[in-house]
Amino acid sequence: MATVGGAGAGGGMSASERMRAERHYRPWFRSWRFYIMTLVTLAAYVYGWQVTQIKLPELWRGAHLIAPFVAALGSPDVVVRENPVQQAATPFDYGGEIPPTPPTAASGPVLRLSQSTGHAGLRVTATGSGFAPNRRGMLEWENQIGVRQELVPVATDGQGRFTATFETPDVMGTRNIVFADIISGVGPLRPSPTFLVVLGRMVETVFLALMGTTMGIVFAVPLSFLGAKNLIVHIPGGRFMYGLTRTFFNIMRSIEALVLAIIFTVWVGLGPFAGVLALGVHSIASLGKLYSEAIESIEVGPIEAISATGASTLQILRYGVVPQIVPQFLAFTIYRWDINIRTSTVIGFVGGGGIGFILIQYINLLQWRQAATALWMIAIVVAVLDYASAVARERIV
Amino acid sequence: MAEPVLRIEHLTKVYPDGTRALSDVSFEVARGEFLVVIGLSGSGKSTLMRCINRLIEPTGGRILFQGRDVTAASPDQLREIRRQIGMVFQQFNLVRRASVLTNVLTGRLGYTPPSWALANYFTSAVVDRAFVNLERVGIPEKAFTRADALSGGQQQRVGIARALMQEPQLILADEPVASLDPAMSHSVLRYIEELNRKDGITVVCSLHFLSLARRYGTRILALKAGQIVFDGLPAEIDETRFKAIYGEDALEVEIT
Repeated sequence: MATVGGAGAGGGMSASERMRAERHYRPWFRSWRFYIMTLVTLAAYVYGWQVTQIKLPELWRGAHLIAPFVAALGSPDVVVRENPVQQAATPFDYGGEIPPTPPTAASGPVLRLSQSTGHAGLRVTATGSGFAPNRRGMLEWENQIGVRQELVPVATDGQGRFTATFETPDVMGTRNIVFADIISGVGPLRPSPTFLVVLGRMVETVFLALMGTTMGIVFAVPLSFLGAKNLIVHIPGGRFMYGLTRTFFNIMRSIEALVLAIIFTVWVGLGPFAGVLALGVHSIASLGKLYSEAIESIEVGPIEAISATGASTLQILRYGVVPQIVPQFLAFTIYRWDINIRTSTVIGFVGGGGIGFILIQYINLLQWRQAATALWMIAIVVAVLDYASAVARERIV
Repeated sequence: MAEPVLRIEHLTKVYPDGTRALSDVSFEVARGEFLVVIGLSGSGKSTLMRCINRLIEPTGGRILFQGRDVTAASPDQLREIRRQIGMVFQQFNLVRRASVLTNVLTGRLGYTPPSWALANYFTSAVVDRAFVNLERVGIPEKAFTRADALSGGQQQRVGIARALMQEPQLILADEPVASLDPAMSHSVLRYIEELNRKDGITVVCSLHFLSLARRYGTRILALKAGQIVFDGLPAEIDETRFKAIYGEDALEVEIT
């Protein structure tokens, strides 16, 4: 075979060495492997595009469907203002009967109508007096079964009076009441009922994660010693126990907590307990594997040194083994708790309790503002706990 | 003649894979000696060190420490023997995540009731002693620092303080300066030398560098392939002996 570049260029190289060097320096565009890999990669992505039914125009076409939700994200249902309301009411009957005039209070707001009987579609003038001056309010109609609807907005003048004309609405029943509600002041901000519900569920979520993680720790710590090769193989039957434990860990770890939650809701019923069990079982496997690896990675040096001081087995464990594994165990546990909090926010989707349980309801009922409240709550709480656990882990390790 | 601190008789160690680390090694160490063990990597230095306090079980032979048979000792007796033998390691072997003080205190475990370990309890006298020993090695201000935050030289000094907690009759130092730079090496060896001179603690120390062995040893023992090839005074190692220990290709390098 002819040598490229002449005999001098090869220096002390043998022919085979030169060939190896040439192959090594062959540029990428001269390699058939490159073209094969490109084709395979391309084919994989083309198939992937089809099989996952990626239709980018849908993003645009469906935008109006999600718009209310996006808008709701900006105004989550968090607080309500309970403004004091001045109210006056007077009856209006359909069908010719004249209702008894309500006893007028000596003081306070009064509502009078131009007529107190008639039929749907009449124009009626309402006059109010005795209200707080220069305030806004609403005229409302309540039918016989207590369902209210708004008629017209009203505003009081400097003497606390207003006049408004409305059309009597077409409603069932004959006995109706007209209300004038004037907002007479500015009340304090209060957490909205949605917020309180969401908060309660979030607390449940955090504790769901806590209980699940705890269940994981309780079982994973003893099991992890069985799954640590460096310790267990010295015991008769250790290799078998090691294999069994690690297989259990690997199988249980591969089943998502969400899937386990479905199984547990069948077993113990809907609710947070099913979620605790699902997270717990999944955590046993995940933590067990991490713990085992932590035990396997301990250094023998300190153990040797402590043995050399004349320490007993218990002392060697306490001062040689435990200090090496405890920080790692703690770090892994915090990490797991972190994951469990995130998982527990969705475990409610399948009935496992926690905030997901109400989030899925809000979404299904298209209650976007409420859904937004839940989403913000999840985002904030998870982010805060995430940060806290990162700080905690950094300190420990 | 006074009883030797340590007497090794026909010590042999064969590892399960068939490696013969020590064959028929016999020597004595007199009280107050600074015995340096030299030899190439794999010549059996570490195995010898670890056989003395039975961190490695010898295959054959006898070890007598102050007249007591180490090889035949029961676990309880072995604990009692071990606590009189301090040990210093090449990799320091500190518990990295524990504080310096805790590391030093572990040197006292041989004297402490085992159940106290559950409560991590040491008497105040022992804690005081730990501070005294840290002062001796010059790092009392590091007591509450984590061991792995220290430099190599400082970590080895913690290792020496830990050995001192045992009030040892004998210190085994297994390549104590092999992980340190030359300046640090001298600083650490000087502490060991001081213990040998002032406190009269017998030292058996393995070293890589002949120059260090000459500088600190009162006697040198050379191992080659698990056998003693030299046993004598530092001054007696000439060119011929050097080549016999380290092989024909070796060159002596100075470490200053």
